[in-house]
Amino acid sequence: MAEPRTEFAISVEVNGTTVERTVESRSLLIDFLRSDLALTGTKVSCELQVCGVCTVLVDGRPVSSCTYLTVDADGRSVTTVESLSSGGKLHPLQEAFVDCHALQCGFCTPGFLMMAKGLLDANPGAEREEIVEHLEGNICRCTGYRPIVEAVESVARQQRAEAK
Amino acid sequence: MLPPFRLARPKTLDEALDAIGEDQVPYCGGTELLLAMGAGLHRPDVLVDVKRLPELAGIRLDGNDLVIGATERHDRVAEHPLVREHVPMLAAVERAVGNARVRNQGSIGGNLCFAEPKSDVGTALIAFQAVATLVSPGGRRALSVEEFIAGPYYSAKEPDELLVDVRIPLGGPEVRAEYVKYQIMERPTLGVAIAHEPETGACRVVVGAVGEVPAVWTFAAPDEIDADTIASEVDPTPDLTGSERYKRHVTGVYVRRAVDALMSRGS
Ligand SMILES: Cc1cc2nc3c(=O)[nH]c(=O)nc-3n(C[C@H](O)[C@H](O)[C@H](O)COP(=O)(O)OP(=O)(O)OC[C@H]3O[C@@H](n4cnc5c(N)ncnc54)[C@H](O)[C@@H]3O)c2cc1C
Ligand code: FES
Ligand code: FES
Repeated sequence: MAEPRTEFAISVEVNGTTVERTVESRSLLIDFLRSDLALTGTKVSCELQVCGVCTVLVDGRPVSSCTYLTVDADGRSVTTVESLSSGGKLHPLQEAFVDCHALQCGFCTPGFLMMAKGLLDANPGAEREEIVEHLEGNICRCTGYRPIVEAVESVARQQRAEAK
Repeated sequence: MLPPFRLARPKTLDEALDAIGEDQVPYCGGTELLLAMGAGLHRPDVLVDVKRLPELAGIRLDGNDLVIGATERHDRVAEHPLVREHVPMLAAVERAVGNARVRNQGSIGGNLCFAEPKSDVGTALIAFQAVATLVSPGGRRALSVEEFIAGPYYSAKEPDELLVDVRIPLGGPEVRAEYVKYQIMERPTLGVAIAHEPETGACRVVVGAVGEVPAVWTFAAPDEIDADTIASEVDPTPDLTGSERYKRHVTGVYVRRAVDALMSRGS
């Protein structure tokens, strides 16, 4: 198993479906998702882990798919923005983004949604301060951030109320 | 797209030590290595994934040492009960590294081995007089983190060596520690760590990120810490985050703030 190789047969669960493929060692998760699987909802920009548009969840934790080797997802589950809505029904976070005007051009939105999902799945009632801290590594050039934080906060508030 | 390379995924330390070499480099979270490769700065033939090696993982107490495995990610270190209990300053530093994705993926060992000057982790560890454990086919050796971070992007490890863990000595009464940082981009412009041993009164002040490597000063007591001397002695690297003169000034300000924070927290 330790012999260095350039190709690996991997099995990854992507949005609930098991995907088996042979990938190059240098394959980046962003390219695997966008080119091999045609899941183009996840965007790519800085490729430096700075902007966050490429955020997906691996085993529930947000990672920059621009700097993540596809082979490292072997045996894990990957969740992308495509998983959020089902049957034409938006995810509560997506609803909240619409209601709060948390997007304009929308390029940053998949990344913010997946960052927010990562946080709220682990901590459904996250407080504003935690939300701000968690989203700090994502860049939006349009909204000024406040509506994005408000959108995530409104879902957290709702979930806090439901937990009572 | 990354340049082509071969990847090895050893499961034991022996396999890993066989696999590494001059052009066969350790690979952990990849948050530095993959960026350097993507930018064309580094073109290793083989990446040797160290994430499956049990010897390099885990956070535990060993006698008087808190031991943190090299492959432990920043978020794990930040949240770990032993780290929070014994070295809360380090937990706070780790919680503020980069962004949530970098903390989820980057390791404490990769941070130290890459020796990026604009770092927080080494600065904090040097204040605690932490020690790095290295292993090679010839055996193990220990080196202070201060010596390990030998230069900018240069750590004192040989190509046939792996970083196993970092050890923070805990013997004696709890060390009081503070860390303050100044940051306007995704990495720190300046970080100041102070560790104060209540028994002897001795203080270590470490200033990182501002120059090529963290610099250390020792004083006999907190009220003897001389921010002006430190500001005049640091060797700042001028860049987009500030000129040499500006960084000297900010160093003085942040050393004073760190001292104030230490004093106002009492013992
Ligand atoms: C956007 C961004 C922001 C950041 N902000 C901060 C910050 O605010 N503060 C801060 O301190 N740091 C910051 N960092 C740096 C971050 O801490 C490091 O990138 C990360 O911890 C490196 O770990 P890794 O596991 O990804 O290392 P890798 O990229 O996998 O490896 C880095 C280097 O270490 C070597 N290596 C790795 N593990 C071992 C081992 N066990 N033995 C021997 N050699 C090994 C590799 O060969 C390589 O040369 C930031 C990074 C990014 C990308
Ligand atoms: S494209 Fe991955 S963080 Fe910017
Ligand atoms: S909505 Fe345009 S970048 Fe955020």
